Order: sequence, then C-alpha cells, then structure tokens
Amino acid sequence: MKPALLVAALWLAAAAVAPTAGSAQAVVAASGWAAAEFSGQIRPELRAVQRPGRGPIGLADAIEPGRVASGSGLVVQSELRARLQGWHATATLQQQRLQGAGWHDQGWFNEAYGSGGSAGSGWQWSAGKRIVGWDVGYGFRPDDMVQQETRRTLLATTPIGRPVLMAEHFDASTAWSFVLVNVTHSRHEPGADEPAFAARWYRRINALDAYGFLRHGAHTGQSVGAAAAWVAGESLELHASWRWLAAADTLAPAADSGGLARANPWQPATVGSSVQGLVGGTWTDAEQFSLLAEAWWDGTALSDGQWRAWSARNRQFEADAATPAPRSVVAGNLAWQASAFDAANNLRRANLYLRASWTRDHWQPALDILYHPADGGRSLTASLGWQGDRWRFDAAARWYGGPCSAVLAQLPTRLQIVGAGTWSF
Amino acid sequence: MNILHRSLAVAALAACTLPASAASAASADEVSSLLAAADHYRMSSENMRVETLVSVSNADGTPDKERRYTVYVQARHQSLVLMKSPAEKGQKVLMLGDDFWLMLPGSQRALRITPMQKLLGDASTGDIATLSWAEDYSGKLVGDEPCGEPEQTCQHLSLAADRKGVTYQRIELWIGKKHHEPVKADLYVQSDKLAKQARFVMDKPAAPTMVTEMLLRDQLTSKKDTRVRYVDRKEQTLPESWMNPMFLAHNPGLE
Repeated sequence: MKPALLVAALWLAAAAVAPTAGSAQAVVAASGWAAAEFSGQIRPELRAVQRPGRGPIGLADAIEPGRVASGSGLVVQSELRARLQGWHATATLQQQRLQGAGWHDQGWFNEAYGSGGSAGSGWQWSAGKRIVGWDVGYGFRPDDMVQQETRRTLLATTPIGRPVLMAEHFDASTAWSFVLVNVTHSRHEPGADEPAFAARWYRRINALDAYGFLRHGAHTGQSVGAAAAWVAGESLELHASWRWLAAADTLAPAADSGGLARANPWQPATVGSSVQGLVGGTWTDAEQFSLLAEAWWDGTALSDGQWRAWSARNRQFEADAATPAPRSVVAGNLAWQASAFDAANNLRRANLYLRASWTRDHWQPALDILYHPADGGRSLTASLGWQGDRWRFDAAARWYGGPCSAVLAQLPTRLQIVGAGTWSF
Repeated sequence: MNILHRSLAVAALAACTLPASAASAASADEVSSLLAAADHYRMSSENMRVETLVSVSNADGTPDKERRYTVYVQARHQSLVLMKSPAEKGQKVLMLGDDFWLMLPGSQRALRITPMQKLLGDASTGDIATLSWAEDYSGKLVGDEPCGEPEQTCQHLSLAADRKGVTYQRIELWIGKKHHEPVKADLYVQSDKLAKQARFVMDKPAAPTMVTEMLLRDQLTSKKDTRVRYVDRKEQTLPESWMNPMFLAHNPGLE
C-alpha cells in the first residue's frame, strides 16, 4: 500500500471514530481500551521562490533556461496524531502543486511507536519510529545525535522520526538514555540514516542542566559531546554545546573533476576528526520581547579552501559556456555544483546568528539574521504569526544575500516567501 | 481535618489572638495558618490534578480566546502543566521550584526557560499552576476591611514572596473573616507594578468549600479579563521520576 493511501486510510478511520471532531478534543472510548485520542492539523501553504541570477544554479538556468524547477506553488499538508495507551502515531499527507507541474501526493509516518515502562523502577522503553530530539541550541544542535533535525525552517514542521529501540532511566534529577537507531539500515547509509548507538546522560543541578553524549556510528565511529543550559537570572538563559567526531559524512568532488564531467562528481566522502561547538543566550523581558544570540563552529562543513576551489570550478564552467562544449553539458555541470550546499548541516564553518521576537496578544513577529564572517554572506528572515483558538496564520520571508562571492548569495534561492493557515483540532 | 473544621479552628485562633486594633501584630505562624486555610479552598491536598479552563475576553467584553489545561500540582513547589487546547496541544511546562522547562511537541525536547518566559499569555502558567500561598509567601495581617460582593468583613493580608521563582513578588490578599476563603487579591510583579487583580468565586457563598473560578483583570497592558475555571480536581501523586525534565517526552497516562 502506498504511504499516501495508508495515511488517507488513517484519516478516514479517525473521522469515522471521532464524533466530536469539532470539539476541543476527540476522545473515543473503545471497549476494553482506556481511550483513543486523536488530534491534528490541516495547513494550506503558498510558497513563492525567486531564483538568483548568480551562483551555479542561476548560471545553469541562464545557459539552459527551464532546467531548474520553480519551487513556487501550493502545498496542503494534513497531519494526524493518534494515541492509544502506549501506542503513538503521527501521520502526514502532503499534496502539492508546484508551478509547471501537476498535483503530487505523498504520505509518511512522522512517528509510529510503542512505549511503556515501570514507574517504580524508573525505566522506560520505546520501539518504532520516533522523534528523539537532543541538545540545547536553537540555530544548530551538534549533539542532536539521533534525530539530527533540520533547523531554522521557515514554518514549524513536525520532523520525521527515526527507527529506534530506546531504553531510558529516570530519577528525580538524573536521566540516562540509550538508543539504537536505524538498526535495519545498511551500515553505509550516510548522516542521520547511519545505523548507530547513541547515549545521553542528563543531570539537573539547580539552575543548570548538564548533559553528556556518546555516539558510535557504523562507519563514522566514535563521537562524544557535552552541553549545558543555565538560567543566569530572571531574564537570561545561557547555553553551550560541544562535540568531537572521529569522522563525519560529507560530499566531495572526485579528484579528477577538473573539467566537464559526464556524471555528478560530488560523491559521498568522509571528513576526519572534527569539532563542532555552539555558545548562545536568550534574554526575555516582562513585555515578552526576546533576543537570542548564538555563535557556532562546524568543523564538518566545507573548508574555506574547498569553497575557493568550488568557486574556481564555477568560473571555469561559466567560461566553458563560451566554447563549443554542448550547453546542456555545461549547464549540467554547473547544476551539479549545487551538491556542495548539501555537504554538511552548515554551509560555512563559522556562523553568527541573532533573532529578535515579540509575543503580544495573538501576534508573534520575529526577525533573524544568519551571518558568515568568512565571506560576508547573510540570510535575513522576517516572520509574523497570529494564533487564535483553532486557526494560526503565518507569513515569512527569507532573503539570501551578501557579496557575489558569498556562498549564501549563490544558493539556488534568492528570496523565499511563505504564507500558511493552520487549522488545528 | 475537613475544611470547615480547619477554617473554624483558624477563625477561633484569629479571634482569640487578633483583635482588630492589634491585627498587624499577628505572628508569622498565624499569617501562615490563615494562608493555609485560604489555600485549602483551591487545593485540598498537596498532590492534585486540576482540570482548568481559561477564557480570555477583551476590555469591551468580547470573547478573545479559550484554553484548556491539565495541571498537576505536587508537593515541594512542583507543577506540571499540560496544554490541551487544539492551538497548543502537546505543549508542556514543568516547574520545579524556581526552575522551569518547556516542551514543544514537534521536537520532543525539554527546553530550559527563564522565569520571564513562563509569563506567557493572559493567564500565565504561574496563574494556573500556583495554587498555594502558604508555602511561597509570608507577610502580615494589615487589618479588617470590607470587601467582596455581597460585601463582607475581610482580613487584609500583605504578602511578600519567599522565593524568586513565583510569578508575583507581592500580593495584597483579602480573605473572608468568617471562613477564610479567598475573596480578592492584587498581584504585583518583580518591579512592584500592579499586574493583575483577582476575584475568587466560591461554590457556596454562604458556606464555601472550594474556589470554582478565579477572575483576573490585567492591569499592565492588555486590560483583558481572564476567567480561570477549576473544572475538576482530583488527588493524584505522580512518581518522583516523572517530574524529571527529560521525562516530559514521555508522561505515560497523563494525557
């Protein structure tokens, strides 16, 4: 059965057994069962994307127009959450129609797991597909060793969980988590799909939360981390994360990719011993104005030298467009250069981030900026949310810019605008 | 001791030891006893589960929003608030003394928040999760004053917070002289600004046994009215390990 059909069937089942779907909570007493509980949301979303005139994708599009999909269009995302005793499921059905294409449906389970435990012993277990979020940062979470959630999305989205077998032990102020993730995957799967064992230790020490982390990946090997969050006063919270990795997955161009290639030269590769770290803080006043500042380093991101080589290849391909080389081959080689954007979680190693937000009645305006000191690249985001009892409306715009040589200024998108209405039940 | 006997005992104690002229000389123990009696109308046990419905209306009386919470109030200043309304469903706030955590359902990750960040919304989590004055405040008996509707003789208590983490650092509280039920309160934030004025609605005004509603009027910015209805109260003790911040991603059987 296709995932979309499965999710649609789940929706129909929920509709059939939820006679009070219009009420605050749809709870269905089932014979022999405590209760099944359903909740969810439907979100129509309009996306508009402006492609850049510069960068490899912009150049490829200039050489061979129509090569790059628009990205603008309508997306309707329906999310259903169900819970019955120790069983939890969250399913999403997505229908989208992007400019120049027809309707496309897909569905997936964000979570589907069973859990249980013993209150007396303090042990809990979970098995199945589950979101397991770790670490203390906002813009970057080096110690998010299981979920490896995408950060700084324009709209809040429910992540897609990982297949886990998890055991945890809790007492009043200490917690241990032991997780086997992706156990059925091939050991060569990259990034968050790699089979791994991960562990977390947590201890509350008055106003300080202290964490220790350990991960052993099937092919990336050992990794250790530590994090802390400290409430330093009425208004101020400070946090920091650190991680050392023996190896990390990345993408790198093949050694002989000097000229035009017949296949994407960017292939999976491994970066050696690396360090990631983040420091940050949040300040909030009585009027609910909040300021978040973070600085982080990601040693697994492409180095300055790698980006210089990347820029040189872009210039070479651009020059090739003036030669008798087939334009489609040149455009293809330029488009493949965009693979570098997916090499790591961060584009540049050094990152500065500042976010100002305000909550006033139903309104939540926010402004943020991500800045790359290495090349002056910046991403500026403005958003406005309105929250009612059942409806939430969001509008957000993100602009990528900086000097022409900046990596952020060469992304496939120059401006991204999103508008969405979310109805929750 | 049931609530009536307890109130009568405190009343007798107050009558014997607190003549109006010497009211301000009431000892700390006596004020504490009065507060314990007043608390009992909102929280009849140390460990409770309270279903709470919060309705907010604009200054012109039009409805603004409605939120539903399940609040677990436990001994030693521990509270767990589960947001149940569609707009917030899955969010949780854990309060352990002066330390606070928020969990958003998407990330399944407990996040440390500051005391300022817990003052979210028209009814802050402090308003709905703090049901005890005796443990958190000390102060003096100012004297007898008329208050309430219908008007009755009340005892005016001036209270200061004993710890930083409470939502309101100063409370001027009026309790009924006869039954010691809470009647009204002026709630002041850290800067000593009057933040909210509260009125308490009892189940049986002539012989009250419990507070059924708390009516809050914002005095700082929004001028909105908030009605906090205590829909259901049950005695329930949570295991100690369930109040671990990392346990917020679990909470089996709580929702």
